[in-house]
Amino acid sequence: MEQQLSKLKTYLKKHFWLPVLLIVLIPRIALAQEDAGSPGGFVGIFQSIVDALSYVIYFKIGGENGIPFIVLWLIAGALFFTIRMKFINVRGFKHAIEIIQGKYDDPNDEGAVSHFQAFAAALSGTVGIGNIAGVAIAIRMGGPGAAFWMTVAGFLGMSSKFAECTLGQKYRIIKPDGTVGGGPMYYLSRGLSSIGMSKVGQGLAILYAISCAIATMGAGNMFQANQAYAAVSNVLPFFDNLAWLFGIILVAIVGLVILGGIERIGSVAGILVPVMAVIYTIACVWVILVKFTDIPNAIITIITTAFNPQAVAGGTIGAIIIGFQRAVFSNEAGIGSAAIAHSAARTDESVREGIVALLEPFLDTMYICNMTAIVIVLTGVYADPGSADLDGARLSAASFETVIGWFPYVIAVAGFLFAVSTMITWSYYGQLAWAYLFGDKTVNIYKMLFLAFGFIGTVINLDLVLEFSDVVLLAMSVPNLLGCFLLSGVIARELDSYMSRLKSGAMLAELEEVRNREPVLK
Amino acid sequence: MSWLTKKSVLVPIDFSETSYEAIAPAKDFVEDESALTLIHVLTSLHPADPAAMWNTLGDEQRKEKVKAFLGEKLGEMGYKNVQIEVKVGDPSAQIIDFAKDIAADLIVIPCHCNKGISRYLLGSVAERVVRFSPCPVLVLK
Repeated sequence: MEQQLSKLKTYLKKHFWLPVLLIVLIPRIALAQEDAGSPGGFVGIFQSIVDALSYVIYFKIGGENGIPFIVLWLIAGALFFTIRMKFINVRGFKHAIEIIQGKYDDPNDEGAVSHFQAFAAALSGTVGIGNIAGVAIAIRMGGPGAAFWMTVAGFLGMSSKFAECTLGQKYRIIKPDGTVGGGPMYYLSRGLSSIGMSKVGQGLAILYAISCAIATMGAGNMFQANQAYAAVSNVLPFFDNLAWLFGIILVAIVGLVILGGIERIGSVAGILVPVMAVIYTIACVWVILVKFTDIPNAIITIITTAFNPQAVAGGTIGAIIIGFQRAVFSNEAGIGSAAIAHSAARTDESVREGIVALLEPFLDTMYICNMTAIVIVLTGVYADPGSADLDGARLSAASFETVIGWFPYVIAVAGFLFAVSTMITWSYYGQLAWAYLFGDKTVNIYKMLFLAFGFIGTVINLDLVLEFSDVVLLAMSVPNLLGCFLLSGVIARELDSYMSRLKSGAMLAELEEVRNREPVLK
Repeated sequence: MSWLTKKSVLVPIDFSETSYEAIAPAKDFVEDESALTLIHVLTSLHPADPAAMWNTLGDEQRKEKVKAFLGEKLGEMGYKNVQIEVKVGDPSAQIIDFAKDIAADLIVIPCHCNKGISRYLLGSVAERVVRFSPCPVLVLK
């Protein structure tokens, strides 16, 4: 060890310019954000990679003004599961709340956490800064009507979320140490092999793991870092030209948790996030109450512009595309990532955890995102020509500011915490995907890459970050939904059997009997 | 064979079939099964793993579960008196440290001999055990 240290010292003495170069380069990269529009250099290379990916993923069906293939794919998936599972998003809703309350918890079942705990863990990856910034982006690009389509996407997305999380439970693996391995990689490979398609399953699982490992760098990382910076620099002008400094601070905090194993920061963020979410929604209600008389008008604006948008490229279709894209970006329905967290739940009924999971798009998109949307539309800041350059978190902050002067500070704190907790959760998803491809031993390389991308996210501009994050996140839905389609027969059978046992009352009676018995030592 | 007889032999186990196959050759070096120690190294949980987030599964519990699992598996294989140890951390570092702790005079380790990217990036656990081990190492191929 000492030998290695002295070697390193002599190496650094010989190459003293190396650390100097690093220190000089960091602000250089930061400056590059300003000429992101012009190709060339670091940003130019990144832009061309994003362009190539977009070309494939956004391949338009139906000519120049058609719907991109990937959006059609997500809409088809959500619609298909809603109809195939006979509107499970409606009929499972009440039961989902009962399960969360613990009525169906059986401590003797296998798994690591309760239904509620698994739900909360998945939610910490879902509720991110997208709930504040993403809605603003949707309204900026697609008009207020995009918020309506986001809600529709959230409603239908509940069914795709149900499908993927049921599969995540069904094909999970309980490891010898009691931890659970689950998620799309497992249900694609194990699930499809159980219906005699093992080759297809393995191929899709690898494809999924590749796209997941890359996608975690975007939506769950660069986008979060970028918008956390936007929210913080909005109230702390000190950071205005110091994006790189903010990037280092953010990456250091996330790094301490995921590399240094300082779990306390993670758990503190985990506790503060729900608190922040509650404060945030209370503020939304406050703004809505202040502008009470304008509510009917705001709702009329949202609905009329949904079907007849003005100044939106592509008209109604354009608004639908933007609404669905932003909704999926926020609630991950069809992406498969949440199935990883849900598979840890303690249960022997896979459908039960799937039903819990359908609450996620509801809370995330139909509730929190809609709150933000109504605030933005009510305050009217988005339509003010003077604030045309505001986008993302800055637009949301400006909207709240018109009613609650100090609220941008809350958005800065909430945004920062949301970003940290979402980044930590997504680094977990990405690490599992990486480990699936390269084994457990090289995960530190993944973590280093993750932190590097987080840093880059803070210093380059929103458009590019968003373009990259979108394209790689949506790519995950290709192998995931394809697998879910192929396994939809399995899900439907499980659901029918579960529902008939639930209705007959046999399920609760059985649980009652288990609880009254002497506890079984495991 | 008596000059080859060892007092304490360590066998790292990663639950793969090849690692279980290392127990039989290791047993040839000792007079009694109790001189054999099996070690499994768990990686620490990611802070966002639901079990870590809610603290429902601590390292001690994970170790106990693995010990019980290995005990049962070894029982089925006909080994009744083998010692079992479970550690959490980096596999090669833990194996080497533990070998020092129990003054092992031989480590028997199977080699998965990684190919491709992981080999270039990190090499295999067996490679690093060979490099830093305090005692002779038998690598099975």
